[in-house]
Amino acid sequence: MLKESLISELQKIVGKDNVLTAPEAMKAYSYDGTTSWIHEPDVVVFPTTTDEVSRIMKLANAEKVPVTPRGGGTNVSGGSVPWHGGIVMVMTRFNKIVKVDKENLTATVEPGVVLQDLTLRLMKDGLFFPPDPQSFLGATMGGIISENAGGPACVKYGVTKQYILGIEAVLPTGEVIHLGGRTLKNVVGYDLLHIFISAEGTLGVITSAELKLNPLPQARQTLCVVYDDVAVAGEGVFRVLENGVIPCKIEMVDNWVINRIEEMMPIGLPKDADACLFFEVDGIPEVVEKEAQKIAEITKKYGAKEARIAKDADDANKYWMARRAGFAAVFGKAKQVFAEDVTVPRGNIPKFVNRIKELAKKYDVEIVVLGHAGDGNLHPAALTDPANKDHYERALKAVDEIIESAVEFGGVLSGEHGIGLEKQKFMKKVTEPAVINMMKNIKALIDPNNIMNPGKIWE
Amino acid sequence: MKDLKELKKIEEFSNQCTKCGFCSFFCPVYQEEKMETSVARGKNFLVKQILAGQQEFTPEMADIIGKCLLCKRCAANCPAKTQIDRVVVGARAQMVKNQGLGFIKNFVFRKVMANRKSFGRYAKLMQKFQWMMPRTEGKIRHLPDFVKGLGKRNFPELAKTFLRDQVKPVYKPQNGEKPKMRVGFFTGCATDFVYPDFGLKFIDFLTRHGVEVVVPDTQNCCGAAIYFSGDLETGRMLADLNVKAFKDLNVDYIVTTCATCSSTLKDYQKYLPDNEEQKQRYEEFEKKIKDSMEFIIDILKIKPEDFKLKKEFEGKTVTWHDPCHLVRYQNIKDQPRAILKALKGIKYVEMPNADLCCGMGGSFSVYHYDLTKKIAGKKMDGIKATGADIVVTACPGCMINLEDNVLLNKMPQKVHHLLELVE
Repeated sequence: MLKESLISELQKIVGKDNVLTAPEAMKAYSYDGTTSWIHEPDVVVFPTTTDEVSRIMKLANAEKVPVTPRGGGTNVSGGSVPWHGGIVMVMTRFNKIVKVDKENLTATVEPGVVLQDLTLRLMKDGLFFPPDPQSFLGATMGGIISENAGGPACVKYGVTKQYILGIEAVLPTGEVIHLGGRTLKNVVGYDLLHIFISAEGTLGVITSAELKLNPLPQARQTLCVVYDDVAVAGEGVFRVLENGVIPCKIEMVDNWVINRIEEMMPIGLPKDADACLFFEVDGIPEVVEKEAQKIAEITKKYGAKEARIAKDADDANKYWMARRAGFAAVFGKAKQVFAEDVTVPRGNIPKFVNRIKELAKKYDVEIVVLGHAGDGNLHPAALTDPANKDHYERALKAVDEIIESAVEFGGVLSGEHGIGLEKQKFMKKVTEPAVINMMKNIKALIDPNNIMNPGKIWE
Repeated sequence: MKDLKELKKIEEFSNQCTKCGFCSFFCPVYQEEKMETSVARGKNFLVKQILAGQQEFTPEMADIIGKCLLCKRCAANCPAKTQIDRVVVGARAQMVKNQGLGFIKNFVFRKVMANRKSFGRYAKLMQKFQWMMPRTEGKIRHLPDFVKGLGKRNFPELAKTFLRDQVKPVYKPQNGEKPKMRVGFFTGCATDFVYPDFGLKFIDFLTRHGVEVVVPDTQNCCGAAIYFSGDLETGRMLADLNVKAFKDLNVDYIVTTCATCSSTLKDYQKYLPDNEEQKQRYEEFEKKIKDSMEFIIDILKIKPEDFKLKKEFEGKTVTWHDPCHLVRYQNIKDQPRAILKALKGIKYVEMPNADLCCGMGGSFSVYHYDLTKKIAGKKMDGIKATGADIVVTACPGCMINLEDNVLLNKMPQKVHHLLELVE
């Protein structure tokens, strides 16, 4: 429990309305988007300025109280769960879009801005922020940067780190620092900016960010390509790219997902297909049309059964709605889902998909694949039920082997979700001790009292 | 062992939530408060904690469960299709069961609203004393300053003569021919007490189109405010009275001009049944219920271009507000737009976020009027952006709140039911 005096100090800093202590509120800030990582904080505080954040950090550092920063709480790694209690610092009210700079294609945002709100605002100026984590309806910019989030559009546009020019952050000791800047090129000293990006809130609190933007593409086109063999679909991904088309998205759904989609919202996907790839291309209208045709040609040449080009925007929307529904279906169909975030180099997708199939058979567990095939981030998900002990154990073993296989094929255990609590045990397994040690030392240097989101990543 | 019977009934719905948090984007209350206890995910998590024996129905819990408009915007956009409305109503029902309604709700729901005659008597009493409330503009009155608790709220004036006191039991088609069909008219409280002229005009509209209309005087309040507050017992009593009122009238449909009433009557089968027999009875009843918007287009099959605009609205620009009880509870959104777009003599402009709740939420606005004003403020921004002269909708509940907030924001717009616009 925290001292009464700390609560009243917090109230002095942010005002009474911005401090929660009721047990019900503590429960409501005990979770994130994962199923089972739950721990209550002792107090919840909503700062709205950098100065408030700094004063809270100084207070917490002096009292050695843990602080876990949190935005929309949509993350799926346990990263924003206050594992050691203490203060949850919620950024949702620190949420202004400070500036949109059309001339420089940049925007300045506060950490609590929700990505979708930013997208809608930028649209008015014909701009967009390319990284597209699928939690965009709730995810906030501070979290997106701290998790270095990505999404389907990574194939063409990359992930968050490629679109952050600079940040303002408050260190665990309360000092305010500025990393990076407002320019595209910047080689002044160590690239500390990128240590903060993907630090999962363990090094400090991001209080402002300078974003790099792109002009909004004028046209888009969607294709649905049908396969008899999911591994051949995996090959289709790199064949398209090596033949000169870079789609903005390539998503894969397997037979299991196709059938769930058809149950929920029939859109005419072939139920006997082993997999479908959804492609999206964007850009100048004439080019987009050409590229769509070319994808159809290439995929058919390399074993696709059928390539459907969307008739219009509504038709295209249907496919993307289905893709999203597929994701929900996975979570709705099982008591517990181990949704993995492993990512392999694109060329190894077919091998990796075949391995997943073998493992499903070996352990007799349903493992579905629906992921961002375009960047090798396949999200295999094992469906199980903790009540069925035997099944649960087998699912756990299958997941272990999936991760080992991904690493064996030159991949990583997390592409976009981060480590948080969920992937800690694997992180320790696959990371060199010297590298873990380096992370430890960096953390100790910046956060001597270990108060900043303790218990996460390498811990 | 604590009684959790009502919660057990909705346990399966609460288990649908995967905690993705997308609801936060759609929740009008979260958008104002920006905290987890405001949003469906948080409320659902806490309900699950009660079910797991980890949380009690504390006063804070009651406040959290109470702070929901039941606008269903989150549910409509939930990837896991969590029926959070049922979770919230179930939790409220459990609270009412365990702790009672509290003095005020007990009096209003069970002593006033639950009985047609007494509701009429109390409304008449209010009508007699409403001169104490200063008149603002036209037929709007606002609460005098001495009722500080409720803030400066504008109410439409209660009618001099209620609809119930001027309506006939049966109306024959005006062309004197054999009726095309026979429908029961469910008046609803707002039409009865505040907009009786409008009720009469709707009857006139129906009889002009060859429909025979019956208006049973045994009908009661639909029960929305009552059962959405968790008083399922009184809700069931009203449901049974209403089912009975129309049972032997041999009507093809039961029609109402109030979106909340139509959705409430349809949804008895969803929220109220305590046993299989009740469920079947309410399901039978549901089949006959039609909101006026779907009735005139889908059943009467009047073509949108055949509606005639009333003279007084010529040259006006109009916009449409989707009532929650129409767009999400009944999936009715195309019919009214088709009429407004086809009506000659007006210009139709779609407002941004037309499906955003107006902030009323029945008794929500009584307990959280400050929030209601903030949420309505966003609606007002949408209305302003259209440059419309008239806000059209099809729910008297929304109309009352929209009128209040148009005045509060010193805006020039008038608010009308769609059927007021046409001959």
